[in-house]
Amino acid sequence: MATTEARIVPASRSLEPVARVERLTKRYPPAVTALADVSFTVRPGEFVAVLGPSGAGKTTLFRCLTGLTRPDAGTVSVVGRDIWRSPRELRSARRQLALIFQQFNLIRRLSALENVLVGRLADVPTWRVVLRRFTRSDRQLALGCLDTVGLVDRAGTRADELSGGQQQRVAIARALAQDAKIILADEPVASLDPESSATVLASLRSAVSTGVTVVASLHQVHLARAYADRIVALRDGRIVEDAAASRLDARTIEQIYEKNGERSEA
Amino acid sequence: MATVARRAGEYPEPVVTWWSGRRLRFVVVLVLLGAFYSASWHLAKVDPGRLLTGLPKMAGWAAKAWPPATDELPILLLRTAETIAMAAIGTTAAALLALPLCVIAARNVTPSLALYYPARWFLNALRGVDSFVFALLFVAAVGLGPFAGVLGIAFHTWGSTAKLWAEAIENIPPGPLEAAAATGASRVKVIAYALLPDVAPSMVSVGLFWWEFNVRASTVLGVVGAGGIGQELKNSMDLLLFPRLLTIILLILVTVTVIDHTSEWLRRKLE
Repeated sequence: MATTEARIVPASRSLEPVARVERLTKRYPPAVTALADVSFTVRPGEFVAVLGPSGAGKTTLFRCLTGLTRPDAGTVSVVGRDIWRSPRELRSARRQLALIFQQFNLIRRLSALENVLVGRLADVPTWRVVLRRFTRSDRQLALGCLDTVGLVDRAGTRADELSGGQQQRVAIARALAQDAKIILADEPVASLDPESSATVLASLRSAVSTGVTVVASLHQVHLARAYADRIVALRDGRIVEDAAASRLDARTIEQIYEKNGERSEA
Repeated sequence: MATVARRAGEYPEPVVTWWSGRRLRFVVVLVLLGAFYSASWHLAKVDPGRLLTGLPKMAGWAAKAWPPATDELPILLLRTAETIAMAAIGTTAAALLALPLCVIAARNVTPSLALYYPARWFLNALRGVDSFVFALLFVAAVGLGPFAGVLGIAFHTWGSTAKLWAEAIENIPPGPLEAAAATGASRVKVIAYALLPDVAPSMVSVGLFWWEFNVRASTVLGVVGAGGIGQELKNSMDLLLFPRLLTIILLILVTVTVIDHTSEWLRRKLE
């Protein structure tokens, strides 16, 4: 799926994992254990899909990775920083971390290009942001990001005139413009139709080919198998599978979703 | 779909209790409302008889007012222009002052709650005092004339606009702001880039509404000596110059209608 030369990453980077979760535990008293002793590492340039039924702990895991929820035990390090050690560590980790939301969260009345430029805001002087006067190099960079997700011809279109799938791809371009090392996508295709889901995941795949690491939670097993390098499956707050996507057969993964004889649609 | 298990007439109906707490509460509210209106009727000294005896007097004035006086039209038109100018300057000044205040007074973007509550109290105080009352105070402070009217309008509108703008800001979806903040952008950048484009149309709409409202309000500000057509209105009434009074009322009607339609048209174009 991705071109081979893009998967080759510099040796210095490939040694250091982009994200490392160790013995992560989060309880919601009195009775819910959202995450129980979860450990895994994400290597640079990987596309990791997190699978699991509702309530398996996917969202809690993402909230711990982005620093929104404090775990009860365990460590989370992103781009080599232990994000729960100090607020400073969290802030500098966040600059290298981009989020993709289920509801896209674009600024409705701005164009696709202007939405991608949101990714540049942290590095642009305030007066330029207020006047919306970006430099040519920032605009060119943003257009390049739109090209990566296949939407460079819609650069001037207002965000609320784009389809759901296109909006999510603009959000991916925004993450690319942020020059993030890692993209965290919590249910990026949960509110999209199958066709748009495929184009959005293909865009995430293109992002990976530019050297970015992607961790995405998904509901559909076949999409995870088609687009991800690796699948981490959660059930009841525990990792029940962690293997290369190609090594897992469909039956194994579908068992993750079986609960009391009921099977969620996959 | 449920299958029909019984014939009509055989279904048990939900039990209705006639003296439930809710019903009792309803009766209490009715009694209190009745008491409120009867007290208000007395306090307001409502006397339909006096209206009946007063009506012929007004009809007499109306008869005397026709035809409207046209000899002073140039000065009356100047006073009308003065009224529109007062509203425009007052509303614009209020809008500029409201801009920083509405950010502080909007719960979702306020820099701190320690500023949020004082800001709310301040703009509620401004809103609570009518522009008519402010104008009365400013006539005493800066003297007779339209400038006192401008200040009166500006202060009341400052509070009203800031409150409605703050509500517009609080109603926008939080997602795009969170997404922009998550890139590491500062609060000022997030407000300028992600918030402003979203609320700008409703803010302009609120501003136009207040301009329109203030043109109507400033037609009477002259009564307290704060300039504009209201001053001429009061003079004519005091001197019982009914044809002149009719001209003034017609001028006000035409002005207000034109402004209302312009403002409505502009606001529709924003959507």
